[in-house]
Amino acid sequence: MLQPKKTNYRRAFKGRIKGETKAGASLNFGQFGLKALEPERITARQIEAARRAITREMKRVGRVWIRIFPDLPVSKKPTEVRMGSGKGAPEFWAARVAPGRIMFEVDGVPEATAREALRLGAAKLPIKTRFIQRIAD
Amino acid sequence: MASPKALKAASREKVGKGAARAVRRDNQIPAVIYGGGEAPTPISLDFKIANQLVYAGHFLTTVFEIEVGGKTIRALPRDYQLDRVKDTVVHIDFLRLNAGQTVRVFVPAHFVNHDQSPGIKQGGVLNVVRHEVEFVVPADAIPESITVDLSGLEINDAARISGVKLPEGVRPVIRDRDFVIANIAPPIKEEATPAADAAAAPAAAPAAEAKK
Repeated sequence: MLQPKKTNYRRAFKGRIKGETKAGASLNFGQFGLKALEPERITARQIEAARRAITREMKRVGRVWIRIFPDLPVSKKPTEVRMGSGKGAPEFWAARVAPGRIMFEVDGVPEATAREALRLGAAKLPIKTRFIQRIAD
Repeated sequence: MASPKALKAASREKVGKGAARAVRRDNQIPAVIYGGGEAPTPISLDFKIANQLVYAGHFLTTVFEIEVGGKTIRALPRDYQLDRVKDTVVHIDFLRLNAGQTVRVFVPAHFVNHDQSPGIKQGGVLNVVRHEVEFVVPADAIPESITVDLSGLEINDAARISGVKLPEGVRPVIRDRDFVIANIAPPIKEEATPAADAAAAPAAAPAAEAKK
C-alpha cells in the first residue's frame, strides 16, 4: 500500500476538503481516467483495492497511473478509552481528494476495457466518479 | 490541413469576472480574440456550439472565421478552459491571424502500425511521451496531426521526431535535439500477491506502535 517514506510529524490535523481541486483536473499521462466528483478522504487500502481491480481487468496489459497519494496520517483512539490523554495513534494513511481530481489514468487498452476496468476500480472507492477520456484528435 | 470554419459570435462590452459569469448565465461562453497588433476583442459564443467544437477534436489546429459585429476575423484557438468537475467549456482564447503569419501550434501525434512492432507483439506497452508536439507552421497550413510509424520498434526502442515525415514548412520548436515522441515500455511485472501484502502489514504496524 502507498504511504510516505518519512514524515516530519507523526500526527496531522484533520483538515477540511474545500471547493474543487486546484490541480490534477486534466489527463496528463493516459488516454482514459477516473475523475472524482465528490470530496472525500481516500485511504491507501481503497487506492490499492482500486488499482488491483483495474490492473486485473486490464489483464496486466497497458499502463495505470495513480494520481493521488495518501500522505495524511489518520489517527484513532483505541476502543473503550476515556476521552483526553492526547491524540490517538496513527491508524491509516489517506489522500484528501477534492471534486475534479483525476485519481487514476489508464493507457494502452481499448476504450471498452478501460471503461470496464475503471468502473470496477470506482466500485472500490467511497465517492461518485466519472470516466473521462482525452479529447479525440 | 483543415479548411477554415465559420463561427458566429456576439461582441460583449464588459470584461472581468462578474461580466463573464453573467454571460455564462445566459447560456453563452465568454471568449477573447487577441493579437495581430490590435486591441483584444471580447466576444461570447453559444455554449452548445462551443462545446461541440471543442469535443469534436482538432480544435486547436483549426482556423476559424469568426463573424462578430458584421466583421469577419480569422483566428486560431490558442487555449480553452474547462470546468474542473463538469468538463464543460468555460472560456476560449483566439489568436487573430494576419496574412502569411507563422504560429506555434501543438499538433496531435497519431500512432500507426502497432501490429508491425515486435516490441508490442512481445507484450510491450506503447508509452506516449508526447501526445502533442509543438511546431512552427504557416497559419494557412496547420497539419491536423502527425503520423508516427511504430513498425520495427522493439522493447525499449523509441520513436523520435527525426523518424516522422513532416509536411513542407513545418518545423518542430525543439530543434537542438532529436526528442522522443513515444517508446515501447517493457510489460508490467506481476503485481504483489495478497499474501506478500498481508505479511508486510503486521510488520509495519508494530513499527508505528514502537515510535509512540
